[in-house]
Amino acid sequence: MSAFERTWLALLAEPPDGADATAEVREPGGAPAGWLAAWRRRSKPVREALRVDPRAVDPDGPAGWISLVLPPRELAIAFDDAAVQHARRLALADPRPPALRSTLLRDDSHFAGAITAVHGDEARTRLLDDPFGRVHPARVLRVGPGLLGTMAAPAGPVIERYGSANPWPWDAYGD
Amino acid sequence: MAVSLLPGDVVPDLALPDHAGNARRLSELVAGDPTVLHFYRGWWCPKEQRYFRGLVALQDEMEVAYTRIVSVSVDPPEVEAAFRAGIGARWTFLSDADRVEQARLGLRETTDTLNDPYVPRVLVLRPDLTIHAAYDGYWFSGRATLEELRHDLRAISREVRPDWSAPTG
Repeated sequence: MSAFERTWLALLAEPPDGADATAEVREPGGAPAGWLAAWRRRSKPVREALRVDPRAVDPDGPAGWISLVLPPRELAIAFDDAAVQHARRLALADPRPPALRSTLLRDDSHFAGAITAVHGDEARTRLLDDPFGRVHPARVLRVGPGLLGTMAAPAGPVIERYGSANPWPWDAYGD
Repeated sequence: MAVSLLPGDVVPDLALPDHAGNARRLSELVAGDPTVLHFYRGWWCPKEQRYFRGLVALQDEMEVAYTRIVSVSVDPPEVEAAFRAGIGARWTFLSDADRVEQARLGLRETTDTLNDPYVPRVLVLRPDLTIHAAYDGYWFSGRATLEELRHDLRAISREVRPDWSAPTG
């Protein structure tokens, strides 16, 4: 990925044209819940798109379960809010890290959500205590293959972002 | 022959499982930040328990200072995970249960033939894994105090952060 590219994620009603990765999303009971789409590009591809850690997206990734936290746009939660800070601490303290976890950003200063995933048919109960679900209620959803990446757990104990325009964890200085 | 671990030397890029069993490399965990590399005997040692209480207090500063801690022992990952959770640590622990890196580094504590642990040692690393400071913790008072760690981390940060002097206008 070039230094000028960003990675974007959106939950949409229909699969969009031109996305770099898409996967069907269903409720735990099997009802359709839309499509998760991702793009790697500098500019925002659709209005709903939010920035995500690039490692969270893999077009060859397996199916899995996600915990998706998406506060409404009018709920402006500062990224430095104590609740968001503490959710990051709880995520670092997790003794059994998930396959991926990233905060979502709309701009440099606000928390726009978080995605946490486990792969395959692993018990989705692991997602029921999502630390970011304490900031805003989370939805647990089934995601088909073709989007979910895998990322190593953040090294810790840093809870700050590496560049205010980057989602946490990112986890490397100067990238 | 064991590698030299003195200031100015470069620490080998350790390859070990973390407390959750994931394969990790030291360079990946350091990833551009000044880092405290901490070798400890094991969860059972009262001196380690006391030292960890200090590091846990320090992590509240390190979490906003772009500095890191990595702790290494011969405890298995599941033991490290339980110990880490119990003390409230939020950094990565590496498990050298097979004692492979311990032999390469020459850090076996030869006076403890029961546990065959790491000898307590704290190395403060620059992002390129060069050792800035080394502390031999065989005697508890030989270990780096929290104030010494703050000084070391500040010195490295000053050296490696191009914007250490705040841009002002």
